[in-house]
Amino acid sequence: MKDIREDIAWAKINQDVMKSLENPRKIYWVILFFAVLMFAVGIGCEVYQYQVGMGVANLDNPHVWGLYIATFIFWIGMSHSGTLLSAILHLMHADWRKPIYRFAEAMTTFSLMTAGLFVMVHLGRLWQFYYAVPYPNERWVWPNFQSPLLWDAMAIFTYLSSSVLFLFVGMIPDLAIARDNLQSGWRKKLYTLLALGWEGTDRQWRNFRVTYLTIACFLIPLAVSVHSIVASDFGMSQQPGWHVTSFPPYFVAGALYSGCAAIITLFIILRYVFKFEEYMTLPILKKIVRLTFAIAMVWTYLNCVEFASVWYSHDGVSKDLLIQKMTGPYAPFWWAMIFCGSVVPFVFAIKRFQTHIPVLFATSLLLNLGMWLERWMIVAPTFSHGYYPWTWDHDQWPSMIQWGIVFGSFGWFTLLFMVFCKVFPSVSMYEVKEMVYHRTLHLKKNEIGETAEQGAH
Amino acid sequence: MIDSGSEKHLAGHPFDRRDFLKVLGWSGTAVALSGCGNTSIEDGKETVVSYVEAKDYVIPGVAVYFNSTCAQCDAGCSISGKVREGRVLKLEGNPDSAINKGKMCGVGQAGVQHHYNPDRVREPLLRNGDKGETITWEKAYALIAEKLAAVKGEEIAFLTGGVSGHQKVLLGNYLDSLGTKNHFVYEAVSPGVVRAANLKAYGVEMPRYRIDKAKVVLSFGADFLGAWVSPVHFSQQYAQFRRGVDGQRGVLIQAESKMTLTGANADRWLAVRPGTEGILALGIINALGTATGDVAELVKGYDKARVSRDTGVEPSNIDKIAALLKLRSPSLVLAGSAAEGYAHGSQNAAAINLLNQVLGNVGKTIEAPVSVPFPQMSPAKGNTAALKTLNDDLAAGKYKVLFNVATNPVFTAPASYKFRDNMARAGFKVAFAHYLDETALQADLVLPLDSAMEDWGTSVPEYLTEGAQINIQQPLMERLHPNTRGLGDIVLALIKQRRADEYKGFDDYYGYLRGAMLQNKGALGGGGSDDDNFWNDTLSRGIVKLAGPSASLNASMATAGLKLPAPVEIDEHYPFQLIPSVTSSLRDGRHTNQPWLQESPDPLTTIVWDSWVEMHPKKATEMGIVEGDIVEVTSKTGSVKAQVYLFPGIYPDAVSIPIGRGHDAMGRYAKGYGVNPFQIMDSVFESATGELAMHETRVNITKTGQRVIVVKDEGPAGGMQMGRKIAARVSTDQVDLSKEV
Amino acid sequence: MTATNLLENWASVRHFHPIDDKPHDPYKWAMAIDLDACTGCNACAVACYAENNLPVVGREKFLHGQSMHWMRIERYWEEDGREFPDQGFQFLPMMCQQCEAAPCETVCPVGATNHTQDGLNSQIYNRCIGSRYCSANCPFKVRYFNWYDYPTTENVWPAEMNRQLNPDVTVRGKGVMEKCTFCVQRLRAAEVTAKGEGRIVREGEVQTACQQACPASAISFGNLVDPESRVHKQWLTQQVDLDKDKQDKDQKEGGSDLRGYRILEELRPYPSVMYLERVRESAV
Repeated sequence: MKDIREDIAWAKINQDVMKSLENPRKIYWVILFFAVLMFAVGIGCEVYQYQVGMGVANLDNPHVWGLYIATFIFWIGMSHSGTLLSAILHLMHADWRKPIYRFAEAMTTFSLMTAGLFVMVHLGRLWQFYYAVPYPNERWVWPNFQSPLLWDAMAIFTYLSSSVLFLFVGMIPDLAIARDNLQSGWRKKLYTLLALGWEGTDRQWRNFRVTYLTIACFLIPLAVSVHSIVASDFGMSQQPGWHVTSFPPYFVAGALYSGCAAIITLFIILRYVFKFEEYMTLPILKKIVRLTFAIAMVWTYLNCVEFASVWYSHDGVSKDLLIQKMTGPYAPFWWAMIFCGSVVPFVFAIKRFQTHIPVLFATSLLLNLGMWLERWMIVAPTFSHGYYPWTWDHDQWPSMIQWGIVFGSFGWFTLLFMVFCKVFPSVSMYEVKEMVYHRTLHLKKNEIGETAEQGAH
Repeated sequence: MIDSGSEKHLAGHPFDRRDFLKVLGWSGTAVALSGCGNTSIEDGKETVVSYVEAKDYVIPGVAVYFNSTCAQCDAGCSISGKVREGRVLKLEGNPDSAINKGKMCGVGQAGVQHHYNPDRVREPLLRNGDKGETITWEKAYALIAEKLAAVKGEEIAFLTGGVSGHQKVLLGNYLDSLGTKNHFVYEAVSPGVVRAANLKAYGVEMPRYRIDKAKVVLSFGADFLGAWVSPVHFSQQYAQFRRGVDGQRGVLIQAESKMTLTGANADRWLAVRPGTEGILALGIINALGTATGDVAELVKGYDKARVSRDTGVEPSNIDKIAALLKLRSPSLVLAGSAAEGYAHGSQNAAAINLLNQVLGNVGKTIEAPVSVPFPQMSPAKGNTAALKTLNDDLAAGKYKVLFNVATNPVFTAPASYKFRDNMARAGFKVAFAHYLDETALQADLVLPLDSAMEDWGTSVPEYLTEGAQINIQQPLMERLHPNTRGLGDIVLALIKQRRADEYKGFDDYYGYLRGAMLQNKGALGGGGSDDDNFWNDTLSRGIVKLAGPSASLNASMATAGLKLPAPVEIDEHYPFQLIPSVTSSLRDGRHTNQPWLQESPDPLTTIVWDSWVEMHPKKATEMGIVEGDIVEVTSKTGSVKAQVYLFPGIYPDAVSIPIGRGHDAMGRYAKGYGVNPFQIMDSVFESATGELAMHETRVNITKTGQRVIVVKDEGPAGGMQMGRKIAARVSTDQVDLSKEV
Repeated sequence: MTATNLLENWASVRHFHPIDDKPHDPYKWAMAIDLDACTGCNACAVACYAENNLPVVGREKFLHGQSMHWMRIERYWEEDGREFPDQGFQFLPMMCQQCEAAPCETVCPVGATNHTQDGLNSQIYNRCIGSRYCSANCPFKVRYFNWYDYPTTENVWPAEMNRQLNPDVTVRGKGVMEKCTFCVQRLRAAEVTAKGEGRIVREGEVQTACQQACPASAISFGNLVDPESRVHKQWLTQQVDLDKDKQDKDQKEGGSDLRGYRILEELRPYPSVMYLERVRESAV
């Protein structure tokens, strides 16, 4: 199996990555076109919904939340793996993360931005969204700091700004490389501006390392807390199926799970579209796949914990709801979630498939489908089968407007992601160099060791 | 129309500005301010009342209440209209009325939607081919005069609903002046058979029922809480009956083939085979074992086994009921619409009344009615036999001019009458109408009526409660549409065509009414006061309470002629009995265009905006029918298609379709929603009274293969509480009611 | 703008159900509904439409579950295998229970739903951004969201019909949550009048629209802390304590022979509406 070559020249790394900004495969433009199209569908739906009212989403009383909230959690979840790869693995000195953390981090940022959109799309009075922001005002009217939704808003905002900062800071040396490799044009201006006058001096590198590490340390608890807070939206409520103590870890596990699955998907796409075969190598993919499998098992375990605790809780209402999920109108989706989330990942346990690109691609999509279904199955059944039997509503089905906006969000994410990869180096050049350097160092050490041994003999 | 006296009265009456709840006696018209129907400032500036120099009782932002009478049904509840800035906003009950004591039903509340309805007729319309052409009132009156001049008196017919008070007097005078006696008083839903049976058994058509005094009420399909006679009044009595005397709560037993709202509130609900109510009554007399003489002879054959077989009521229940009736006295037995909807309805009702007599309830819970000391004002009671006669006459070509006052027989006559075609045989048809409903659309001339909130009137309800009273109806606000007229005003204008001299003193109906009331001031209890004071006092009260003569009950335990037919065998072609049900919110369908009532869920099925076919789940399962299936209901007369609702409160061999929906005209909220069961009703008549026997239609049900989602408030859990304590219930032996406040 | 301001202000936004430190004074509006008197006739619900400017949404929107009845009459029947509902149905008027520790209040991100000093769960339409979290967390599901802009929707309030609108009650536009207010406009008017006269609102001086209409007088409403009020007496006789999530009378052996109970009391929302159980005759 081919890994990154140790003897790859640093200049070639620069050249290869910079080339990805110029001439991706044609499929890039096809993807971009469809992304714009999908996004346009979403925009159209949202404009209509804004004009006419939330009713066009086919939400009702009491089924007041729908796909918007489910998809919001999905996107928030996706964001977690970027942090996992860039921050946690950074601290753990896992070198294999280096070629892929940049796009993972970008994925974090963009999925957070997409998630943020869903908060907006969901609001009945979008034009008043700023009421939820604690801004100073002469009447001293504050948002309600007791509301998990407010914690949410703040956590997401903090996470998003930190992620953007982390992404940007991590990119500075590469931006400088890009700046230096270009003669003129808008790109040159852009990179010059963003590189912040990076010259690669020793002092700059030292400050850079400290800053990067600090943000990484800050980001990890933030990532965990963000999804814990999203879990609180449900866990802190009083509704059956929601007030589950294990929700925060369950949500975090789910987040990492869906994020890793998404990384596999994007890994495969980027590798092909931007011709990164040499950097995004199969051994790296194999590592992610194994990591994903581990997280899948954690998620499955936490799922069982949740069911067991409901089953033995003597809480008849929650138990009713669980049975309803398994047998009621949502059953096909619920079982699909179990299948995609807990059964499909066993594909990853088979060694043969761990580097089999088509299988991995399909599997990763299935995993993400499962994770999206999971979020939907958390949100919707509680509304359709809650405390108050009179208001049960088993027939509610999202309208095309809801589906359209969900669909559009994938276009929006793809659009952002594809534009990013075209404008910014999606493989970290300096870190790949570091990686290569570490490896050569390692090889040299081994050689030196060997020679020393031989010499001793 | 502002009465000059009102200001004088006001001057001498200290008015407390803060006390805005005070009920004022001046018509709402007097506070009609700008911004009411006028599109520009210049339009109608003469009616603008300045806020700077407003009337003393007009405080911007503070509501004034005017008393009037609810015209949504004939129960005669007194209302108090909340008026602000010249608009009537809400109707409350008038606490002074003995009928409703400040309470209101949903139908009454919706009266404002009748008034503000966007589909009201606004101008006199003359038929021009298929279209209505707007004409002036002068032209309309001239046209009527012209048409009437060309026909003889007996060629003129008047069709109205129940009328009373001065309108009835004036209308009567007009008919006299025309030389016609053809006044048909028609109500599509009326207790006609019960009236006749009561007259036989008690000597009066409608005694006063004292549910509040009864310890047990056994009702044979009388939906007194929903739609029967005077539901608001009976609901109050019912509340008292449930509280009971000394903590002994009243027990309600309801026997009927299709559960009504009252049945849903019963302690014991009995599903009775359609038409066998009389048999059950006789069976209970038999089980009581207290009857002697003729009665004992009569009920001899009605032993438990037979009665149970005939009626479908379990023998143990008959025993229990008999035991309870014996134990707790007085009781009250009511014969309702379900008992009277059959060809042998009079017999059913007679058997039920006999049970009352056997139980000794007459004089205890069945009291003598009171009546108004002015017989000319007492109500002309509507029934369905009147329409039958009119229809036959029309078919025979007896009438050349037909006046229809706001009834809708094209909608409420069974299709087999072919009323629309027969109506066309009258050469000139005048409709006094609120809406362009099915009947108004057939007219040659449509005269737009004022709403009850714009019109003057007096009325005497058929069912009087504690004492005699005349209800006053006064405008709560200025006319919404300048070209509508009150019924009184129209009749007055028409009678002036005939007897100009007699009526020249009256500019309008208001003047007539005031004059007529003042003339009888003494008899109306205003002997001492001057005219203005009396008049203003009367208007401010909205009711004239009178010491009316009390009729006496003439209880005779007559068994002669009481003969009940055996229950009908199931017909293979038409295996179901159709029960057209009268719902509490739609009644006979005249209020279907009021959206609050369309969206007010039917209490039993929670269905809104649509008709349904009620079927027993057991029967439906046998036929493979599930909720929402569109079925075709076919009778000998015709067929309709509607959604099925599975409902356990119905005798399995019966199906029920509610009355009131299925309009193909009337307005945006009524047209196109649901089906009209009158379309498939067979023409079967009650043998003694000639009333339409509404429950005598037999139908067949076939699936069409289509299925819809039933629009209703109830969720997929149906009536289940899933073990959660939501609507809790306790039996009398587990609870001590005597301590309650 | 200091941190102290912020914190102090925050504290006063949230007014929890006053138990010991802040007793209800002088008002605590509460209700008692006698299910044995209620006939399920719907008069209260229509009265609520009339009083509170509730839109009639029409067939299609009702089908989609977007109706706005603040007061709904629920109809129950436990099948338990019987062929007929031979003991009748059970009707239950359900509206906002004005919980003292309302689950909806804590979750609103903008504090648009709050507890008032007189014990109401208020909804500030202007402040609401339509997150619908309140409805999501309401155990009774009595909150209704404006899915459409009803004032401008065809045939909701067409010309003339709009003149019936109660000027004392806001007409709600799209995107805000609404619910039963206990007819707060009537309460405020009465409270202000009473205050001007240096007294508190007397029993019977103010009625909610539903209570006023109810032909069977099944609904009583009033000031729970006024010993003269019927509601106070009813709660007292029924031994239902506002501040308890389990009533003492139910802990006794053999249960209680009193009818008062509150729905989903065990969830500790401390509802302000007490229901009196429906009674069924045991002799028939």
